[in-house]
Amino acid sequence: MSTHTDRDRMANGPLTTHVLNTATGLPAAGLAIRLSQLQEPGCQGHADGRCLPLLAVGQAKAGTYKLRFETAAYWQGLGHASFYPFVEVVFTITDASQKLHIPLLISPYSYTTYRGS
Amino acid sequence: QDAAPASRSHPVKHNLGAPRGEGMANGPLTTHVLNTATGLPAAGLAIRLSQLQEPGQQWTELVCQGHADGRCLPLLAVGQAKAGTYKLRFETAAYWQGLGHASFYPFVEVVFTITDASQKLHIPLLISPYSYTTYRGS
Repeated sequence: MSTHTDRDRMANGPLTTHVLNTATGLPAAGLAIRLSQLQEPGCQGHADGRCLPLLAVGQAKAGTYKLRFETAAYWQGLGHASFYPFVEVVFTITDASQKLHIPLLISPYSYTTYRGS
Repeated sequence: QDAAPASRSHPVKHNLGAPRGEGMANGPLTTHVLNTATGLPAAGLAIRLSQLQEPGQQWTELVCQGHADGRCLPLLAVGQAKAGTYKLRFETAAYWQGLGHASFYPFVEVVFTITDASQKLHIPLLISPYSYTTYRGS
């Protein structure tokens, strides 16, 4: 996993995400995330609920992407049943130079996502 | 309240082909799409329901529904729901485009699990061009 210094540097990449457990108000530590492009895959699992840029500067291109969050496995690890086996968010990057932050707020029976920056 | 348009205060029960549709409104699976930018139902947003079929883990489309008032009558009739994994697909980009808005998501898919097929399930989707929320209701 990246060091703190790497995280600071890489945290300024064009695409980041963050998963918040809304039942506890804490980051969803250990929740696995995958990024796919309507073409080719990238994979990222992280320990603290924050995900370092899934796409580095210069790597993002305009197109359709999908983030997949392994939410059921996460809830199961905490001893909870949940409604969704996983969450997939499909989105469009139109301006590849613009910073994009895609948070996911989760509880066992609900989730919310939005486009941040 | 009385002066509000019919489509806002009294959602029309869209006829799926059954004689009156009232019986079907009590089916086990319903959904509702709310446009949170306007606070109104997302009229005309197309929705598809699929089920994950075991042999081969393929998605099988069960029913497709475009509706006028943002409310969708039971996608599954009483007795039709079985325990398993289902997917609701909402054609949100087409909906926003029809209103002249760009949006972030080409569509929204919500994958969920039915464990108790006898229990009523309501799955609302709240949408704006750059955000959405869903939850399990009843």
